[in-house]
Amino acid sequence: MLDRLRRPWSDDRAERTLGAIACLAAIAIALMVVFVAQRAWPTFQREGLSWLGSGGNVDSQLGSMAFNTSAHPAASAYHLRAWPLIYGTLLTSGFAVIFGLAISLLTAIFVVDLAPPVLRRAMTPVIRLLASVPSVIYGLIGILVLVPFVGNDLITSGQKESVVNVIQLTGAGLLVSVAILTLMITPIMTALTIEALASVPRSWHEGAVALGLNPLRATIAVSLRAIRPAIVAATALAAARAIGEAIVIDMVSGGKAFTPKPWDGLIFIYEPLRSLASTIIDQGENLTEPAIRSSIYAFALLLMFSGFMLSVASRLIRRPLRKYELSS
Amino acid sequence: MRRPRRYIAPLVVIAALVAVPAIAYAATTISMSGATASFPLLELLSAKYHQLKHGQVSFRISQGGASVGISDAAAGRVSIGNSSRPPQAGDPSGLVFYPIAKYFVCVVTNPANPVSNLTTSQVQQIFTGKVRNWSQVSGATATGPIDVYSRTSVAGVLTTFQNTLLSGSKVGSFATQEPSEGLMQNSVKKDPAGIGFLSDYFALAKGINAVGYNGTGCSVANVVGGSYPGVSDFYEVTRGPATGQNEAFIYWIQSSAVAKKIIESNWIPLGKIQPAIKTP
Amino acid sequence: MAHAEPVTPPQLSAPPRRSGRRSSVRSWRRSDQLIWLLAWLAGTGLCVAVAAIVTFLAAKGISDLNPTLLVTRPSVSLDQSHSGGFLDPLIGTLTMAVIGTLIATPIAVLSAFWVVEYGRPRWLAGIVETSIEMVAGTPDIVFAIFGLALFQLGFFAPLSFRASGGGVYGRSFIAAGIMMSLLALPLTYTATRNGLRATPRQLREASVALGKTRIATIRRVLLPNVRSDIATGATLGMGRIIGSTAIVVLLLGATLQNNSQGNVPLLGFLRGTGSTLTSYIFENSPSGEGNAPQKAYAAAFVLLLLVLALNGLVARISRVGAAGAVNAGRLSL
Repeated sequence: MLDRLRRPWSDDRAERTLGAIACLAAIAIALMVVFVAQRAWPTFQREGLSWLGSGGNVDSQLGSMAFNTSAHPAASAYHLRAWPLIYGTLLTSGFAVIFGLAISLLTAIFVVDLAPPVLRRAMTPVIRLLASVPSVIYGLIGILVLVPFVGNDLITSGQKESVVNVIQLTGAGLLVSVAILTLMITPIMTALTIEALASVPRSWHEGAVALGLNPLRATIAVSLRAIRPAIVAATALAAARAIGEAIVIDMVSGGKAFTPKPWDGLIFIYEPLRSLASTIIDQGENLTEPAIRSSIYAFALLLMFSGFMLSVASRLIRRPLRKYELSS
Repeated sequence: MRRPRRYIAPLVVIAALVAVPAIAYAATTISMSGATASFPLLELLSAKYHQLKHGQVSFRISQGGASVGISDAAAGRVSIGNSSRPPQAGDPSGLVFYPIAKYFVCVVTNPANPVSNLTTSQVQQIFTGKVRNWSQVSGATATGPIDVYSRTSVAGVLTTFQNTLLSGSKVGSFATQEPSEGLMQNSVKKDPAGIGFLSDYFALAKGINAVGYNGTGCSVANVVGGSYPGVSDFYEVTRGPATGQNEAFIYWIQSSAVAKKIIESNWIPLGKIQPAIKTP
Repeated sequence: MAHAEPVTPPQLSAPPRRSGRRSSVRSWRRSDQLIWLLAWLAGTGLCVAVAAIVTFLAAKGISDLNPTLLVTRPSVSLDQSHSGGFLDPLIGTLTMAVIGTLIATPIAVLSAFWVVEYGRPRWLAGIVETSIEMVAGTPDIVFAIFGLALFQLGFFAPLSFRASGGGVYGRSFIAAGIMMSLLALPLTYTATRNGLRATPRQLREASVALGKTRIATIRRVLLPNVRSDIATGATLGMGRIIGSTAIVVLLLGATLQNNSQGNVPLLGFLRGTGSTLTSYIFENSPSGEGNAPQKAYAAAFVLLLLVLALNGLVARISRVGAAGAVNAGRLSL
């Protein structure tokens, strides 16, 4: 039998075998969608799409679901209004992606154009290293260094008093979450942008300079525009990582399902929040009760769907830009 | 003939791989989940039992909170559920709660704010949110807003606290909810303006201040003497009466002297075996 | 006829300065100057941030790390601050990396070969490419939740264990390892696919001219050529696996020590629960119950060293490989 495996295969058989193996990835995705959707279905069945809206305190809704230990809860037990969690996810990821994009573009320009050669050779492997640091290490620095700093040194007693009847400002909140999340996703975006920027032919840049542009504007006007597909792809990747980041947000976000309100002034950045992913991880041990299980799987479905939408959107955005593309 | 010999080696390996697990499956694993307050106790008890049974019984204990343990046991996801509260309305039917030890709940503050005693009304006002500033609390050295820490709704210790020390009121929604005893202990240890409540194992540890209640200190002696009110039992929960290895383990906890010694280290043994409570 | 009339260039608003050095920043427009300043700030800011993080972690880590931590098992109690090391989490991290890479690499490589070399029918190849892209864009936590749903099915009971009430536990090294392989899959696939695409056509044509079938070409010619790309992709995947925390926390049972399930040596270990360095750091941070920030720093330092070593390995492999492989002149920094 082993002999038959060792004899040279025919192309047909090889094609079929390899094709079957290649389909494993597609099967995995299909299974994932099916399983998560099936477990999330009870929430959709009983709440429709209104669970995405707001109304009431999500913490207490989830709490009463977890408290309910019966095997077949009534339909009212599934009541959920998860908007604060969605808002928290959008706030942190949105700000992190915006800041990350700005910083990564500027850093890429710096590394490729402005930095002295010594610094340039040193920075590239360093940025790659930063991109591969596990997120929990950033979370550790956040919670052991940034949160006490913000809580004790930045937030004044007066600010704490002003919200004392509603929430407690401990330093863990929007500011630290966005800071750590930006720190997490910027190196990845920077590394990808630098790689793309370095692959733009030098002659394009020199042509622009020859036409009278200063070198910096030449880079922006020519090279950055040329690598727009790569920037879009890097941003989509970073956004997907940001919305799905559970552990770090769990550590530094304050763990209260509160919607930070921009009209609160400066306190806005200190207010605690909670994101979809950090709620999933928090409730990881509670997945036994049916009501909370379908709610958590509904969150996971939402995250999965957002990830897919980001992939699709980045593809759609890149398609018209493809005529300017240099390499895939 | 070389071919038959080529088959023998793989066949032997496969046979071994199949036979050995079949033999090894004879050992039992008891899985448990539930209360974070009784987790340290169950860890110690199960380690001792594992040793006494020469490794034939092993344990897999996870946490999650008393309600999680109860619903896991009811659904058959674990062999035994750990609970830090008696059964209440809404719990699944057909469960049996076996009491194994007594524990108590203390109000705790940060050591930098060593409040020695609080009255019932003070505790109620602080935890329900009527009083939000340390300056309004006599005996407190901290200033500024009070950071109140509570537990998530699955916690049995929360039920005990609300029923006994809060006389039935509920903790306000502004409080930060911690998912476990350990995390609550961490939070109050780090926060000079913090206040919370913990079961005795966690409250009487170093680095945290246990607050007296109505003049009675929060200690084992006062609980045994009957003067401290914040008391409840730890229960082991099974679906239907416990059988087999589960029953042996629970009976061992309730009756053996070795188990009693372990319970005495940080908790309060029950004396004689208390009757089990069944949910209807 | 010998000399043409010199043509005067049209007058520019500023005299052209072709001295071979870049134009002085002071002569630029305000907005360009602002961008220049911001770029310098960003670059130096990043350098400072990196230096600060690395020195902070190194200082804390070295002060808290002593070699005994690496070889002692964690103590059984909840409070980690007094005793015990992180041998079990270290073993857990290495096990995860090995299992995940072992499962992901063959699937990724074979899929890449199929898509690039065969790829018929076209719609199927499109589906495979899209699926792998979707796997790349899925958040870790969704994989963790999916793993829980999948491995708690009765069918997968041999992979973890079945409670006496009939419920499947669903958390074990194997379960987490299979989900981890999904993390590493897109990275290895993309690296292999890019390597294959960069291999010049002539190589394949020469092989076919010598009479080899396509599959033989793949085995004997192309596979050795993209070895370094495969290695790079596998190492990148390993790095991603080592860094993931969410899957470990949900799918590995989060027990401090590696508890085997059953008495069979290797199989019991794989079916059992445990922890990795990442979950150990999480548990010992103030968000977890271990209450031992010093141990968390020490573990973070060890983890950082591991990641550094992996990165160095990737750089080395891609450098060596780029020299050895035949490819159409790809640039890499």
